[in-house]
Amino acid sequence: MNIQEIAAEIQSRWNNEIKLSTIAGTLECRCHREHLVPLCGWLFNRLNCHFAGLTAEELPDRWNLDYLFTPAGESGIIRINTAAPLKERNFPSISIAVHAADWHEREAEDLFGLTFEGHPRLGDFILHDDAWQEGVEPMRENFSAADVLSGRNPKPDWRPRRILKAPGAFIMPVGPVFSGEAESVHFQLETIGEEVLRAFPRLFFKYRGVEKLAEGRSVDNGLLLAERFAGSTAFSHALAFSMAIEKLSGEEVPPRAEVLRVFMAELERLRHHLGVIEGICSSTGLAVGTGQCAILEEEALRISGALTGHRYLFGLCIPGGLSRDFDKTALKSAAERATDIVRRMNSIEKLLINTSSFLDRLEEVGAVTEKQAHDFGLAGPVARASGYSCDTRKQLPYGAYRNFDFDSPHEREGDGYARLRLFFAEVRESGRIMEQAAEKLPPGKTAVPCNPDAGTAISTAETPRGATWHRIRIGTDGKIKRYRLITPSFANWHGFHIAAENFAFQDFPIILATFGLSVAENDR
Amino acid sequence: MPGIETLLIGTLSLYTAGIAAAFLLPKEKTPVLPALFGGTGSLLLLFTGIKSFLPPETFHAALWTVPGIGTLTVSIDTLSAFFLVVTAIAAIPASVFAATRLKQTRWQHPEVAAALYLGLLISLTIVIIASHVFLFLIAWESMSIIIYLLISSDNNERPGYLMLSIGEAGTLAITAAFLLLSANTGSLSFAIIKTGAASLGPGVQWAVFLLVFFGFSVKGGLIPLNFWMPGAYTAAPAAFIPLIAGATLNMALYGIIRVTGSLLPIPHAGPGIIMLIVGSATALIGILYATIEDDFKTLLAHSSIENAGIIIAALGAGSVFLAKGHLAAASIAFAAALYHLLNHSVFKTLLFMGAGAVEDKTGTRSLDRMGGLLKHMPWTGLFVLIGALSIAAMPPFNGFVSEWLTLQALLRSVELSSPGIKLAFVAAGVGLTLTAGLAVTCFVRAFAMGFLGMSRSDSASAAKETGKPALLSMAGLAVFCLALGILPTYVIPALNKTIRPLTGASATTALVPGFFRPQGKLPEAFVNDFHKLGAQIGKNSMPGRGLAVLHRGGTKNPVVFAMSTFYMFITLIILLGLTAGLVRLFAGRRRKIRQPRWDGGVRKLLPEMTYTATGFAHPVRVIFESILRPKVVERKDTIAEHFRVTIRQKRNEIHLIDRMVLNPLDSAAHRIARTLAKMHNGRINTYAGYALLALIVFLAIASII
Amino acid sequence: MSRWVIKGIRTGIVTTRYPEKKEETPGTSPGLPEQVTGIAPENRETESRCPTGALSREKNRLNLRQERCIHCFRCSRGTENPIPWKNGFEWAEIRNPEAVVPASLRHSLHIRVVDAGDCGACLNEIKLLNNPYYNMHRLGFFITPTPRQADILLVAGPVAEHMKTPLLKAYEAMPAPKRVMAVGACALNGGVFGPGFVTGSGVADILPVDIEIPGCPPPPLAILHGLCLIAGQLKNEPNAATGTRKGEK
Repeated sequence: MNIQEIAAEIQSRWNNEIKLSTIAGTLECRCHREHLVPLCGWLFNRLNCHFAGLTAEELPDRWNLDYLFTPAGESGIIRINTAAPLKERNFPSISIAVHAADWHEREAEDLFGLTFEGHPRLGDFILHDDAWQEGVEPMRENFSAADVLSGRNPKPDWRPRRILKAPGAFIMPVGPVFSGEAESVHFQLETIGEEVLRAFPRLFFKYRGVEKLAEGRSVDNGLLLAERFAGSTAFSHALAFSMAIEKLSGEEVPPRAEVLRVFMAELERLRHHLGVIEGICSSTGLAVGTGQCAILEEEALRISGALTGHRYLFGLCIPGGLSRDFDKTALKSAAERATDIVRRMNSIEKLLINTSSFLDRLEEVGAVTEKQAHDFGLAGPVARASGYSCDTRKQLPYGAYRNFDFDSPHEREGDGYARLRLFFAEVRESGRIMEQAAEKLPPGKTAVPCNPDAGTAISTAETPRGATWHRIRIGTDGKIKRYRLITPSFANWHGFHIAAENFAFQDFPIILATFGLSVAENDR
Repeated sequence: MPGIETLLIGTLSLYTAGIAAAFLLPKEKTPVLPALFGGTGSLLLLFTGIKSFLPPETFHAALWTVPGIGTLTVSIDTLSAFFLVVTAIAAIPASVFAATRLKQTRWQHPEVAAALYLGLLISLTIVIIASHVFLFLIAWESMSIIIYLLISSDNNERPGYLMLSIGEAGTLAITAAFLLLSANTGSLSFAIIKTGAASLGPGVQWAVFLLVFFGFSVKGGLIPLNFWMPGAYTAAPAAFIPLIAGATLNMALYGIIRVTGSLLPIPHAGPGIIMLIVGSATALIGILYATIEDDFKTLLAHSSIENAGIIIAALGAGSVFLAKGHLAAASIAFAAALYHLLNHSVFKTLLFMGAGAVEDKTGTRSLDRMGGLLKHMPWTGLFVLIGALSIAAMPPFNGFVSEWLTLQALLRSVELSSPGIKLAFVAAGVGLTLTAGLAVTCFVRAFAMGFLGMSRSDSASAAKETGKPALLSMAGLAVFCLALGILPTYVIPALNKTIRPLTGASATTALVPGFFRPQGKLPEAFVNDFHKLGAQIGKNSMPGRGLAVLHRGGTKNPVVFAMSTFYMFITLIILLGLTAGLVRLFAGRRRKIRQPRWDGGVRKLLPEMTYTATGFAHPVRVIFESILRPKVVERKDTIAEHFRVTIRQKRNEIHLIDRMVLNPLDSAAHRIARTLAKMHNGRINTYAGYALLALIVFLAIASII
Repeated sequence: MSRWVIKGIRTGIVTTRYPEKKEETPGTSPGLPEQVTGIAPENRETESRCPTGALSREKNRLNLRQERCIHCFRCSRGTENPIPWKNGFEWAEIRNPEAVVPASLRHSLHIRVVDAGDCGACLNEIKLLNNPYYNMHRLGFFITPTPRQADILLVAGPVAEHMKTPLLKAYEAMPAPKRVMAVGACALNGGVFGPGFVTGSGVADILPVDIEIPGCPPPPLAILHGLCLIAGQLKNEPNAATGTRKGEK
């Protein structure tokens, strides 16, 4: 069903009680709180719409909640908006019907002090109960981000929630400081020995309050945050941020910059995926494979560094275009080097799929079904490996992607091996896109000045890990009022446990590696 | 020292006096004094046993003549003497331990409990010294009934009934065997049976062996007749279980040795092979179930099964060697069996005391709910650790010596010629090696999960050290564990006095060669031999007796294996001392920092974040899944499909023996009962028909005979 | 398996010769702005473009505080007066000279990495130290999973509130002598996050930092240089103005 049909159906079902409007491919539904649960549930469960995220916002006079959906297999965005006076803090929880909204509601509860009635799991989430006292609501307007809180009074008797009821059950704690150079996250693996029966990742050890820090900053400074909260996918997030600002300023990005942005985004994807493949090899103890992939990853980083000046493409994407221009020959030679990397990666893939000890660790390990991918709102390669179609580049084509010939690969099995194959396939596609971009680079400027007007804009981009959504509200002073970051890692961490459970301890790091998760991107 | 007779009468009088005291003394002194009577009596018993060893002479006494049965006699040969010593070693500390605990039994009147306890000691003594079938069986039966009374309780009658019913079946078999023997030899006296037994036909010999083996296996906990044991041992009150586990189990082994070793040595390998295979299978299954068990006492019960299996396997090996004429090898095997029997009595009594103390102070037997007890019960922890190290066969403790001897005895099977027998030895050897490995896992787990780490329940974190008498008795046994471990060269010559009449060869010569014993100069040839083997013993002096346990091989390779547990111990002490000294020397002045364990940086490591005993044993569960056959029931409760509230998992493991023996028996019995019930249709003419049918059958049988 | 061996052998040696030889392969480092002189005092455009205050003015000279630079390129792109950038990566600075490892132990150092809120880039560069291109094992540096065996605590990120306790616990779990290495602009001064309600202003807030490695993120070579410095394998010749030093065995 496309969004027109959905609009018509909503009209008839809810008897005009929900106000609808369609602006530039976005269907906006203003509804009262009582309609929220049936409407979202209907979209999610009947129409199989993808739940992208929830944005809570404290406006001067009211709470404003935006629920973002995208229709299944169709272009467009559905934004469901509900509001309530500030003194009202209770909202109905849609999580029972829309499980993907689970963490989003918990986040809003933790940071805004809202209550989602009917949600079975409120409490300890972003602000850990064993480190903070109750009642700290950092996203509220009256809370200053610069305040250094003192006099902490955490719950002294905090204990992890245990759901495994079995004789001899215990929690296997992992982290937050664990492994060699792993990101900080704490796992509580409930088990009776050997087999992980429940995997619970306790995240947000790295919560840096990026959304709060952005408030009151200028667009330029906000960009630094967007770029540097998840450094391994910096360009994609900077791109999403810039696109939101561009929407508010109404400026058209020059075609040359659009094509260059595609080139850079795909270079980042290629480099990121090589890193993930290296991680998978390393998790299975395949030393030579790890080394070989690491060589390719470093070479991809050197291509980025030599071409743009920065190995992680920092400081490149700005609202209005790119911060610098590129020589066509330089671009071409970079694309050629990338193609060379892809060629060498193909030969590694051939070796890998002929190494049975390696495949044994991946095949039928950590499987996620398509339904689970939908129910948990998974994003990116993880979802596509289960056959769940969710590529923003195809569904909501942005920038120059419309003009490129590329595939969005899919797998069906959803196990570790499917995810590995998908990462390989996507690297190949990225290589193809880069070649095309170097080929068809149009002449012209690479940037236009960009001064956003006050207002709110939502943009989405496909980062290497999946779709990210940036929702930015700019105040009349040109400063950022509210910056909402919905990241693919947030969605995928939410669903990670379904893959990790019922496997032995030694499979756990492998499953973790095949998910290609970023803690920094999740914790923000 | 007074004569054996005096000592024996003293012992039994003290026991009897204890029973009298239990009923006559004022209530407040009741449990303590009778138990002390038991302890003193056992001390006399120990002297009785030792005295019977030096010089080895058979004490013989006729009690009284019962018309139609003959003269009841008691006698103490070296075999009886050995068992008297073992029983006394277990009974002395067990009595001290029991003194404080007799109040905590199911008996409302502690005097009854005390009387039963002393009655058990009397029946144990008489079982060992009886040399007349009638007396033996009376004592045996009273022992069974007292144990039944001690372990069965009002709220849990099953273990007691199970033990009694299968125990009676065993007694029946033993009775049948003795009747067969006496029918063929014409006497109920052991002495006459022994002289007449050699002339029995092979069919009768086999029948006697099988009946005896079956009958004693029941008490000894051999497969497939041990299903009563874990439940019964677990149900037994802490006051009695050290004695039950430490002494009464031995009676079964005594019975088997008495009949197969002394009364009726069968001159072929068959019985030995059966004992070897059944023994090693019992050991393996016993330790397997012990390794995954959560209940501390049940774990120890399974471990008793394991140890009985090891002893029987060694005995079996000895029988095979004996039947095949390898007397020296047979002596080693018997030495191993008796040594292990002695050791098992010591460390199992100790461990059951530890389990009792822990249960008393924490209110739980579940290892999952313990943890961190070492902080609260340091002495109990130390003694349990010594017991666990011993039972896991870790040097320098006693279990190591006897298990090593057992494996060495099995290795001597290279001397045998029959490939079939060799195969049986290999299978048994593999089984026992695996058993030894699992035993380490089992007792590392039992100690670590009980005493180390963090307390996983409130009752464990509130535990207090147990009382002084209990600690004293455990300390005594712990000292024995160490002494038996480092002084095997003194123990083996003593055991040899028991072994020599059984095998006709000396275990001491095979294990502790004569040249170790004399002080002074060594034969030149031997020193040269020894040097050729690469052993450094100094030019002309051996540092005295008690040094090495040595397996002598043939002429080509005179020393198969030699080692000195005593020197090992000394070396260990020296190394530890040196290390401590060096650390003190080099780092003594440095600042020492104690840091908590590295926990991955979690804010607070909680007890529920540490391994439980069940979790620790899980790999074993997974590896042996095909034997354990767990039925896993999992239920997930969720809200709206994805919010999980609980995951419930239950593993149901029916014990292998229950699954393969008891339950089929049970259902067969039910089937037969159902069929019989059909015959009971209540019509008088049907019953008349049955009577007629029976008459015809009997007549037919009579006419054929 | 044999095919992997052949693959490995056919790849040959890609490892850098640094620190024995210079490493100047393009793309190994973003470089830093150069110190510039001769800018009119009233022309404050360039320094005002710097979002972190890394550029400071001293009359007509523009000084760089390298620990603040986050490689945003705003001083060199999109401005009328771009200032030139200089290649190089030897930016590490020792804060506590006593922490340099004595000669006898400098060829085996174990490192425990703590992610105290890092964005992923610094950590990735740290991970790449094990890459065949850099292969820090050849210099005797090893990453260890437990701080119990660590000589160096390598901290990246601005120290997020929730990571304070784990970081302190890791530090306390280390055996003495403990060395702390702060990697990346965030770890040095909070970077773009800065002091706030959940982020600190760098590792020095809660731990004594012995060596600092600027950069956002510092490339593997910069970290390697820092490791060599703290291990005493290189001589420290600070040249903070240009942010470059000569490597010396």
